[in-house]
Amino acid sequence: MRSFVPPLSRLLLWPSLMIALALWLKGGASVGGGFPAGALAGLAVLLQYVVAGRDQARRYVAVRYAAPLAGVGLLLVVGTAFLPVLGGYTPMSLFPRPDQPEVGVGGLHLHTALVFEGGLMLIVFGLVVTVIDRFALRTGTEEESGP
Amino acid sequence: MSILLPILLALACAPLAYVAGRWRTGAAAWVGASGALAALGVLAHGWTQGPARVVLPWAPTWGLSLEFTRDGLSGLYAAMALGVGALVVVYSRAYLPHHLAEEGRSPREEVRFHELLLAFMAAMVLLVTVDDLLLLFVALDLTTIVSYLLIGFDREDPESRAAALLSLVLTGATSVVFFAGAMTLGLQYGTFSLPLVIERAASNPASTGALVCLAVGALGKSAQVPFHFWLPRAMAAPTPVSSYLHSAAMVAAGVFLLQRLYPLFAPATEVRDGLLAIGFLSMGLGSLMALVADPFKRVLAYSTIAQYGYALVLVALGSEGAPLYVAIHAPCKAALFLTAGAVTQVTGKKKLSEVGGLRHSLPVLAGASAVAAAGLSALPLTAGFFKDEVFFHALAKEGPVVMAAGLVGAGLTLAYTLRLWWGLFGGPRRDVPAAPRLLVAPVVVLAGLILLGGLLPGLLVAPARAAAETMRGEPSTLELAYHLDARAENLLAVGAWVLGAALFATRRAWTPGLSRVLRRTALLGAERGYRLLLHLLDRLSTWLHEKEVRDLRDRVASVLVPTGLLGIAVLGVTPLRARFMVGTVGWADVTLVMALAFASAAALATLRAKGHLMLVLLISCVGFSLAMVFAFAAAPDVALTSVLVETTFTLLFAGLLALLPEARLRRAQKESQKPRGRDRLAAGVAGASAFLLSWSALSHLQAERVGQRTVELAEAAHSPNVVAAVLTDFRGLDTVGEMSVVVAALLGVTSLLGLKKGRR
Repeated sequence: MRSFVPPLSRLLLWPSLMIALALWLKGGASVGGGFPAGALAGLAVLLQYVVAGRDQARRYVAVRYAAPLAGVGLLLVVGTAFLPVLGGYTPMSLFPRPDQPEVGVGGLHLHTALVFEGGLMLIVFGLVVTVIDRFALRTGTEEESGP
Repeated sequence: MSILLPILLALACAPLAYVAGRWRTGAAAWVGASGALAALGVLAHGWTQGPARVVLPWAPTWGLSLEFTRDGLSGLYAAMALGVGALVVVYSRAYLPHHLAEEGRSPREEVRFHELLLAFMAAMVLLVTVDDLLLLFVALDLTTIVSYLLIGFDREDPESRAAALLSLVLTGATSVVFFAGAMTLGLQYGTFSLPLVIERAASNPASTGALVCLAVGALGKSAQVPFHFWLPRAMAAPTPVSSYLHSAAMVAAGVFLLQRLYPLFAPATEVRDGLLAIGFLSMGLGSLMALVADPFKRVLAYSTIAQYGYALVLVALGSEGAPLYVAIHAPCKAALFLTAGAVTQVTGKKKLSEVGGLRHSLPVLAGASAVAAAGLSALPLTAGFFKDEVFFHALAKEGPVVMAAGLVGAGLTLAYTLRLWWGLFGGPRRDVPAAPRLLVAPVVVLAGLILLGGLLPGLLVAPARAAAETMRGEPSTLELAYHLDARAENLLAVGAWVLGAALFATRRAWTPGLSRVLRRTALLGAERGYRLLLHLLDRLSTWLHEKEVRDLRDRVASVLVPTGLLGIAVLGVTPLRARFMVGTVGWADVTLVMALAFASAAALATLRAKGHLMLVLLISCVGFSLAMVFAFAAAPDVALTSVLVETTFTLLFAGLLALLPEARLRRAQKESQKPRGRDRLAAGVAGASAFLLSWSALSHLQAERVGQRTVELAEAAHSPNVVAAVLTDFRGLDTVGEMSVVVAALLGVTSLLGLKKGRR
């Protein structure tokens, strides 16, 4: 009998990623944020690794380039923190400033904190996926060359 | 903005050299040297527009800004760093291929050398142009780090690695002392901006402790007694490094700091007296060692110690000639170092006793280095004459004892310089192949400059006066001219020449005795003390390491027990204890207590867990129950993150277990089943403290604390989610730091797991 787990896990990937994105975008207003979003997205990929194996999971570009994504995330974080310095603001000034009006499209509020949180998400995602990938790589070679 | 242009150009040199080096190895030096010359040109152009300052706010709420200045001191020292830097880079183009070939290394490494040299130049330019105590420290440490890489450039050679480490430790440790002094001043005056500090110090003198700290930093850099011994060791570096760092740049930084901060030192006569004594001591010690040293680079190193001793004396006396002295010494010493490198390349020898008689084969080099040597020993018609003139001028005001000491010092300088030049070029003729032109050209340029300064001393007056004005904060009346009369300066100079010539003529008589005496005094010198200190520190660290790390349980306990004791202390005895009072448990807390009971049950079960997988699952149980606690405590954000992180980590742990060898896991399992008495004690302390602290925290969930204010501020910051507002806004910089740690961990994982695979 075929197990229901592999098809189900494939089915779960995109909804999980959507929820992760939602967690990120809604982070400023309600429960969520970049950190849980990154962890959730990482978990979704982790499921693919466990069920489908490394080769299948690595079909996705974001998985292959997880470590560089973390670098991009760090750039976003550091950029949001220190680019305002060029404009004469203190480091970690977010826009719009507290006394400025909010900018928003529908339920989404545009704020540089969103970029910052996006950076967090990419870093956490990159860390989780890279570590999984390395573990998977190692266990794979172990089995081949093992006793 | 034009103040920043030379700095930016200097900073751009190393990257430009890198790009040029990618294209063609030989191009790196030329591009780098042209960049340095361009920066020099811009600097000279800016100089004509008079002094200026630029302030870039960095973190105004913390009172921090990036401040740069264009004044006499910065102009003089930056010109020195850029000019000598460009010449040394050109020289390295000729020196490095031969050097690398001898060491059996790839010619491509030449580019790395140029980059480092240019990076050092940029750090030096930065150091002399900043006008802010914190930036001063940052630039100082930049020079230290790059100098470590430069001195240890021959990384296959254990001696040069040891020398690099020694200089890093000494100059790094003393610059930390400098930092302590800078912080003290910053706290005392409420600003780090140098002009403001100096202005406020006029009515409220700086504390002696702070000044001594600043002076220690400067003495370490300038290789003065008792920190002098790193410099002769650093001669293990390739010669272009010595000729740059140890004539015009690194060692000049220390004396520069003292000149830059002179207005603070001016009222503190006792500190200045101490500096005066150290200056004379370094002068004497350096000169005597230079008289007997055999490797010619060492002669020059000891001479540098002595010459910066002179400069230190001038600063301590508050003489307006101090900047000029350093500026004239630099080209003389650089030229002699470059000569030494050229001689080593042509003959393959490094000691005075092995060379000699080269004046016939290397006539141009001999002539140019004779001018440089004359400049170093202050003979007339060279710029060097004026460095001793200002020196004697300052001494003449201080009385006969100081004058006599200065005369002996100058006499010794002439003696060792004559010994060096004669040792290289004099004596019976010896034929060697001609030196490459590119090796000789920088020496000739420097010699030309020294002669020019000696023939037209009027050219030196303007920059020397401007620098002296910046240093002392009052108009300077410095005059440079030849006077043919019996004034004290002239008499002292003539006396020094006679003494030097006499010493040189009778050198065979006293050399063996002097070297024996110096060898004996070296036994109780500063270097021995340093080694002893290092040895003791090493033993202490080994002992601590043994105690802490031998057993993982001890290591965990060494963190948990102090933390636990601290927690208990906070709850028990500190004045804060009223705020941490534990509350009562009522019916409303039933859900919380149940979740906590579940967590503790899981934690207790780990004690009896068989197998690591079970252990991992139990620990994740603890985590999930705690997530539940957070959910009950109205912290959905933390609960969500906690659940996600717990899941991830459980799975990763399980994956990690698959990577570990079976036998080792079993042995660890067996060992952990045998708890020791002290483990129970440590666990008891840590557990009790954690228990009380959590209880106290959970008792005050609704209390009026900083939380209320945070909620209000979060609304204003357009972020109704308070946790997000804290993470991204109020504590944003902390988050940046944490995320950098995460990325560092990621890099570590990538390289560690990748490395092991490669080794198989």
